[in-house]
Amino acid sequence: MPSSRTPSRVRAYKVAIRFRPREDFEQPLSAGYRLLPFTFTPLNDHVYVATNQAGQYVILDRASLEDFVRHRLPYGSDAYSTLKAAHFLLDEDSDVALDLLALKVRTKYERIATFTGLHIFVISLRCEHACPYCQVSRQSNDRIAFDMSRETAERALQMVFRSPSPAIKIEFQGGEPLLNFGLIQYVVEKAKELNVPHGRDLQFVIATNLAVITDEILEYCKAHGIFISTSLDGPADLHNRNRPRPGNDSYERTIAGIDKVRNVLGRDKVSALMTTTQGSLNRAKDIIDEYLRLGFNRIFLRPLSPYGFAIKTKSYQAYDTDRWLDFYFEGLDYILQLNRDGLHFAESYASILLSKMLTPFETGFVDLRSPAGIGIGAIVYNYDGDVYASDEGRMLAEMNDKTFRLGNVHADTWEKIMTSDALLEPLESTFAGSVPMCSECAFQPFCGSDPVFHHATQGDAVGHKPTSSFCKRNMAIIRRLIELLRESEETKRTLMSWIVA
Amino acid sequence: MDGQPDGRTEWPSREVRFANDIYSLDAIKKAAYRLSDRCAFDLRSESGHYVAVLLFSQDLSDDDRASLERDFRNEVLDYDLRESIAAETTQVRNAVLAYAFSRTGLQGGDTI
Amino acid sequence: MLTLGGESLRFANIDDERAFLVRLTENERLPMPLRPNMGFLVKGSIPDTLPEGFRVYVVVEEETATCVNASVPTVVLPAAYGYLSDGDVLRIAPHRHGVRVLYRRKARPNGILLTEQCNHYCLMCSQPPKDIDDSWIAKQTLELIPLIDQETPELILTGGEPTLLGEDFLSILEACRSWLPRTAVHVLSNGRRFADPDFAQRYAEVRHPDLMVGIPLYSDLSTEHDYVVQADGAFDETIRGILNLKRLGQRVEIRVVIHKQTYERLFMLAEFIARNLLFVDHVALMGLEITGLTRFNLSDLWIDPVDYREQLWRAVSHLSSHRMNVSVYNHQLCVLDRRAWPYAKKSISDWKNEYFAECDDCQVRDRCGGFFSSARLRYSDHIKAIVN
Repeated sequence: MPSSRTPSRVRAYKVAIRFRPREDFEQPLSAGYRLLPFTFTPLNDHVYVATNQAGQYVILDRASLEDFVRHRLPYGSDAYSTLKAAHFLLDEDSDVALDLLALKVRTKYERIATFTGLHIFVISLRCEHACPYCQVSRQSNDRIAFDMSRETAERALQMVFRSPSPAIKIEFQGGEPLLNFGLIQYVVEKAKELNVPHGRDLQFVIATNLAVITDEILEYCKAHGIFISTSLDGPADLHNRNRPRPGNDSYERTIAGIDKVRNVLGRDKVSALMTTTQGSLNRAKDIIDEYLRLGFNRIFLRPLSPYGFAIKTKSYQAYDTDRWLDFYFEGLDYILQLNRDGLHFAESYASILLSKMLTPFETGFVDLRSPAGIGIGAIVYNYDGDVYASDEGRMLAEMNDKTFRLGNVHADTWEKIMTSDALLEPLESTFAGSVPMCSECAFQPFCGSDPVFHHATQGDAVGHKPTSSFCKRNMAIIRRLIELLRESEETKRTLMSWIVA
Repeated sequence: MDGQPDGRTEWPSREVRFANDIYSLDAIKKAAYRLSDRCAFDLRSESGHYVAVLLFSQDLSDDDRASLERDFRNEVLDYDLRESIAAETTQVRNAVLAYAFSRTGLQGGDTI
Repeated sequence: MLTLGGESLRFANIDDERAFLVRLTENERLPMPLRPNMGFLVKGSIPDTLPEGFRVYVVVEEETATCVNASVPTVVLPAAYGYLSDGDVLRIAPHRHGVRVLYRRKARPNGILLTEQCNHYCLMCSQPPKDIDDSWIAKQTLELIPLIDQETPELILTGGEPTLLGEDFLSILEACRSWLPRTAVHVLSNGRRFADPDFAQRYAEVRHPDLMVGIPLYSDLSTEHDYVVQADGAFDETIRGILNLKRLGQRVEIRVVIHKQTYERLFMLAEFIARNLLFVDHVALMGLEITGLTRFNLSDLWIDPVDYREQLWRAVSHLSSHRMNVSVYNHQLCVLDRRAWPYAKKSISDWKNEYFAECDDCQVRDRCGGFFSSARLRYSDHIKAIVN
């Protein structure tokens, strides 16, 4: 409420009015500026991307970049103001940049303290499919040999709750986990029981090909809030060629299964993942159309993993990174067009990268973290009790490479497993801030290290980044996303809408 | 590291010289590492200069070789610039990290 | 605009020497034990028998002057005070025959000015600072709070800069918690005092159940912000204050007044907030009020909102894409980009809220916040009724 305007009070303000000009608040021109930590990488032939410790980026041409580093950038110019607001420089006007930078850096690394959130239980290796690219399954009915036992599951669960993560996701994998459904039930119920004193946010997912799902299984999933993740490689011909089974009806069963799950559990309770094979590479649009047709609003355009039967059958060498990038960008362009046409549809890998580029947060995606997500982000309890640093580490073991085997639930304590050399060594040696090329790469905050991939494809966890397909792939996609974000307001808004909160 | 491996046919090559009072060996090595998927490198030192020898594969055209050399020179310049940045900012970088992971902030005594 | 106070009014039989606060009632059957502390409100003609025992009788005249009963303490107010009603609180100042309306139960929102002192001197200040000792206001507020209706949904504490009151400010917050536990409290402050971690801690220790502080931030650049608020070092301290408050789990809103000195970098400010202050609870983008110091600086501050509608929409869009809560205050719907309409709130205090002739046929008038009364001095050239 204003004060009444009596004459004496009006007199009081008239004396006081005197405003200082803007220049009064600016530092003396002679004062100059200090650089804050940052690095840069070319975006294209014309400009560079510069990023700071918090992963914020600014685009500069070479001349401006050099002027900036050599302290020749004029105070108050557009480039100066942009760099100041984005915390690339410090001058006498203000130093709260340090508080804010530290806060953002802390936010970025918070996930490390959260620790292992994803716990994969390999419930059974048995499977009735015979997919050529599959890493692990066994066509066998030998339950004793290839199913996880109750004892193993119980010990694994004890380890799950040793992780301090407030959110725990238990994912059932295989083979085909539904072939050992009884054990899934045991794990779910036992986990809930063990969770009572902890009060964690507990989530369950079953990764299944849906070929053997029954009404009873669905009712159980409904009662316990279990999510379903299934494989959908594309239209029928592609999917069935990738996933042979007796009767050659994998696709039909998947579609029927998705429908059933949606009806019983709810439309948001089932997600689909595709696997890319050589046959997929010129079918980007068809695959996306298939996802569209089935009512999904996201797709994860994944690279082929170089593990397991894929290497054995040489299907990994069958295409190179360039061909895969063509496939990916064709898919991405098509999805952007869908968005322009009014549909909300996202590409998941891009969403993860965009989240790292545009928000202060790290994502839960374990393959793009530094320190790597092995063990400390996700961990695998195999059917036989062996513990692996990642699902890919398990796949390597199937090819007799046990580099990423951390121990066994029956023989080792959680402490021994989490402090084993097998885990700590690659975590430390592959920290992106310390390895050649990554340490000075502007895209480092958006990328990660993938020790298992580099070990499998190049023979050591750190890898040789100039020839690494992981590096090539990520740099290409990140560059493309930065270009797209500059392209137009509309494209930028679309891409931002893909970021999952 | 000097000369070429014995018993091999001569590889087409180019030499690029860098004054050693302007460029650091580290910058040159890092640039070479970065381009090591496109050609091989040999490095040697000669009075006042570092000499980088780019060893091309036989089927590389003249244009491609010129372009590689240009890219290499630019990479060295970029790494040189990065060194300037690092020299000026390493202390702040460590301070920010220390602050980011501390329980008490720069202002001291905050409760987290 | 409502008349909220005056002097040289008609007083009769009031012997008090000092000013006092009184809550009004229109209930003639109010139980006797409650009457000695309350004021009985009469609107229009005085009844033949007044209920006895009230501290004071407040009569609001209608068309003609009223005859006053000579034997009871009476204050006669002109018809302009006809809005007064049950539950309102007055300050009666006998030595000046003055009355000030401190609280109106029906007001939306309810606000209390805690001090006119300030350590800023904003170019567009709507409550110009005075360098005087007005600590009596804080004391009066502590007396006022217990008289305020407990069902009041929200109370806005403003100034000047309320935190300059130090301990008194904290006492007022504690009084709000004690006497008005169901009333949300919104403090408007430049936030700088909270850069002192001890003060921030004491603030958090009030443990008020529904408290938020609204803090202005005018640019992503320190020099621009400091220029607008005319205080060196303001930007840094304000941000440190915000960080301390959020570390202590306190609710913070960022307020941005948009005018010629702040609209150009409005989008960059949105980027800055989304990147550095993502955890704030609300962002309010506000239109200029042509009052106080704004009138003296009008040529440096005035810009037709239509001329910054694009920057405003881009800022809103950016903040909301980052899932922040954002609102647009004090803008008419016809000057906003349509996509911003869902974010526009009716925000102008009722006592200074008006619509103009151009609005008569507007189909979205009910949804629109309208104007400040002071907008008569200057408003957009592009006001026109929306006729679908």
